[in-house]
Amino acid sequence: MYTINSERSSSSMRSLFDGSQDFFLMTPSPSSAAPVLRADQSVRRGPALRFLADGCSVDAFEGESVAAALFAAGRRELRRSPRDGAPRGMFCLMGSCQECLVWVGSRKLPACQVPVTPGLEIETLDFREQRLG
Amino acid sequence: MSATSHSPGAYDAVVIGGGVMGCSTALHLAQGGMRVAVVDRGPLCREASGVNAGTLTLHMTRAALVPYAMRAWQMWMDAEKWLGMGVLATRVPGLTLAFTEAECELVELRAQARRAFGAPIEVITPARAREIEPGVHPSLLKAGYCEIDGFASAYLTGRAFRHALVRAGVDVIENAAVASIDSGDAGHVVRFGDDSGRAPLRAARIVLAGGVWIENMLAWLGVRIPIKVLINQLIVTERIRPVMRTVLSVANGLLSLKQFANGTVLIGGGWQGEGDRERGGLEARPQNLVGNMRLAAYAVPALAEARIARIWLGLEAETADAMPIIGDVPGVPRAYVVGSAHSGYTSGPFMGRIMAQHILGQQPELPLFDPARLLGMPMPGA
Amino acid sequence: MVEAQPGAVDLLVIGAGPAGARAALRAQACGLGVLLVDENPDAGGQVWRPLPPGFARAAGVQPSTEAVQGDALRAELRGAGVRCLFGHKVWNVGRSLRTDLIGPDGVCSWQPRALLVATGTTERVIPFPGWTLPGVIGLAAATVLLKSQNMLPGRRTLVAGSGPLLLAVANGILKAGGEVAAVLDLASRADWLRTLPSLAARPDLLWQGARWQLALRKAGVPLLYRHGIASAEVLGDGFRIRARQVDASGAPIASASSSDFEADALAVGHGLVPGTDVTRLLRVRHRYEASHGGWIADADAEGRTSVAGLYVAGDGAGIAGAAAAGAHGELAAVACAFDLGRLSAQDHARARDRLFAEWRRPARFGRAMAGLMALRDGAVAAIPAATVVCRCEDVTRSEIDAAARDGARDMNQLKAWTRCGMGPCQGRTCGDVAGALLAAHVGGREAAGCFTGRAPLRPVSLAEVAGDYTYADIPIPKAAPL
Repeated sequence: MYTINSERSSSSMRSLFDGSQDFFLMTPSPSSAAPVLRADQSVRRGPALRFLADGCSVDAFEGESVAAALFAAGRRELRRSPRDGAPRGMFCLMGSCQECLVWVGSRKLPACQVPVTPGLEIETLDFREQRLG
Repeated sequence: MSATSHSPGAYDAVVIGGGVMGCSTALHLAQGGMRVAVVDRGPLCREASGVNAGTLTLHMTRAALVPYAMRAWQMWMDAEKWLGMGVLATRVPGLTLAFTEAECELVELRAQARRAFGAPIEVITPARAREIEPGVHPSLLKAGYCEIDGFASAYLTGRAFRHALVRAGVDVIENAAVASIDSGDAGHVVRFGDDSGRAPLRAARIVLAGGVWIENMLAWLGVRIPIKVLINQLIVTERIRPVMRTVLSVANGLLSLKQFANGTVLIGGGWQGEGDRERGGLEARPQNLVGNMRLAAYAVPALAEARIARIWLGLEAETADAMPIIGDVPGVPRAYVVGSAHSGYTSGPFMGRIMAQHILGQQPELPLFDPARLLGMPMPGA
Repeated sequence: MVEAQPGAVDLLVIGAGPAGARAALRAQACGLGVLLVDENPDAGGQVWRPLPPGFARAAGVQPSTEAVQGDALRAELRGAGVRCLFGHKVWNVGRSLRTDLIGPDGVCSWQPRALLVATGTTERVIPFPGWTLPGVIGLAAATVLLKSQNMLPGRRTLVAGSGPLLLAVANGILKAGGEVAAVLDLASRADWLRTLPSLAARPDLLWQGARWQLALRKAGVPLLYRHGIASAEVLGDGFRIRARQVDASGAPIASASSSDFEADALAVGHGLVPGTDVTRLLRVRHRYEASHGGWIADADAEGRTSVAGLYVAGDGAGIAGAAAAGAHGELAAVACAFDLGRLSAQDHARARDRLFAEWRRPARFGRAMAGLMALRDGAVAAIPAATVVCRCEDVTRSEIDAAARDGARDMNQLKAWTRCGMGPCQGRTCGDVAGALLAAHVGGREAAGCFTGRAPLRPVSLAEVAGDYTYADIPIPKAAPL
């Protein structure tokens, strides 16, 4: 599993929380901190695979939604709110609230509506904005 | 100037139409000592004044209106001082772009015409343009550059004016549709619909500031001047990373682009949708949405990935000679009309000021636009 | 943009949930050319969501009733050969009912003769401090997570809000091997007992409810009636959630003490709100009906709206539950077939009467559940000033109140003055609560109105709409005057 490290960025976005703009990047860690959230009592999942989120590898199962897979991996924060810089993550899980947006190639999509497929690469909004400078 | 009567309901001036022109006129009249009411069938600045692109540019303003627009530009930048509340007016340079030879010619012509009226516009090379605006399409051939440019958030205008008008003691009468006006030697009586339950207003002077509905308002007074209605489409994106830092237009006049501090990008350019004066804006025309978006994504390629958050329509007024209608209503004493400035938001606050100056008996800072010239002038293409 | 294909479709149905799918089947059976569109990869809507692609039911496990119903519906659609466009979102509808879609292959348009909107509901969450924190999800969202993704919201989840989803989610969590910190219900036991008569025809649901209550008790999960969330704060990797007693209106009882719970996830929902995106866009007449979930299209009993050729059905037309939604969809389909001249008056009347009878009893139950889920004014009034109401734009309650005090008189003026509703979700998440807040200032919901519907109904990128083109492809009207 992965722990969440925060890294200060040079972005000047206002934040009411701790005065800094933190980015949460996925880095591998030896011990598992995230609880096991997948419940397999009544299903057999598709094949296990990995996808890339912000350049880091995430364990998942084919067909799961990216939002759920990241959630299960302990990655619950997906973006920062526009004015207050508050952490946000998936909320409605039905493609309505637009909180769980991620970049898939050139398209910005709700992660709750993006199925995990082999070779999938996604970027969170802040990560891509950082990357493009 | 004192009120002509102390009986309740008698105003020195009633302004019908609560957009930028009407509100600015009313505010300046009140500051000149008059007892004023502003009437609108909806909330203030709910029509064109609240839904336009907020462009404060000289590039797309008619050449002859440049002096007016320059003064209004300063008023918008100072809005917090005289309105008490700003509209996030932001000063940035403006570039008008040419991607074809024909557009290059237009850039030169338009710059020349505007310079003649005092606009500080110079024609620059694509390399220089890219220094100013790195995100512009690499195929740019030429650009017009103006350092006096910028934008405002039009949707904030209603709140700002309401605040200022109330503070100035103007009676703000919203959601009250005027049905007719009786005009005579003793003054005017402004009547509302029978089912409105509102008592008529008596006024020594009336100012018609109804935008595209000026044609209907003039008809109340028996004056026939056609006003053309443009149904402008507007598109705003979601917040995106900074991709531009100027106000952009294309020399053919069909694009306006700006990115606000909050990251949203507003795309305009006068592409036409469906609608009319009676029913308002009805819906966008798909091929015109596509055209507008293609032009935007061409001018600034980074916009291609931006998602559209909202598409809406705004009604813009245009007279037969495409110049404003500002001055005395022909044949009706103490009745005035102000509007149809095309890019009216840009010059609106100043047009209201000179209208008020005229009504107050002062010499307007710049000449008005005599409505009488439009009597009998046929609308082109009609 | 691909040109609309005229004449190809008699009835385009938006939404392949219970209402839309049954409507499509019925319309096809009446001889109409049908196109069924849904943004999801398959039919079933929210309540009968299929498993994700590649998942399979484990051998020897009894599928739930909903799974059975969903699978049956999907099989029926396939068997009947209904033309379906899954994975397609509707981003615009013209006044001619021309429907613009965006799918995996880009944009396309269809020009049907009639349009049925069966887009269901979205979830309402009444804001509280901490409601926007990652790890706080909706109740309906938790249902999707459990039933479709087969995933727990957390190791230990607090479940709160109102309505039938509370117990469903709490039990779903227990069955999936998770812990439930507590269940907080704005309703009272008496509120629930009052719904009993509506359950007369559904002893199975009564039985299920009783089993669920028993399971919670066995697991030692506190079930607190007339309790709401005062706040949720970050505590380590999870939350400290403060619960407090409320009255029937949802308003906190000042004198009562509060209790704190720890959990690493919070599933909260205060009811469902009918989706009116499409009908507002088309300027259909709406009315406010609290018992049906809020604003709904002002439609007749068969789903005809104030716009000719436009029909609504299912929970999106007013909450009556999934069981009633199918019959409602069929009612609309039959009305449409009659209105298009493809069904005789006699056949229409016969089908309509039969479908009404089929609709009545499940609707009674659905309305009772809707009553439990209805917005409670006291809970809205209790939203603290600094709490965000509009998530997309970070607009707080105090900004909304300030705009109202400054003279904002309707939802559109509120939007212009605060940006509430201007973000990507177009007010779907905040609209009902913001409307309740404004209504308190302007004398009611009808006075406050709704956000004017605008395209795009879901965000689409410029690239998606513009397609591939060169500069010469841009249709340039004549140049602006000098």
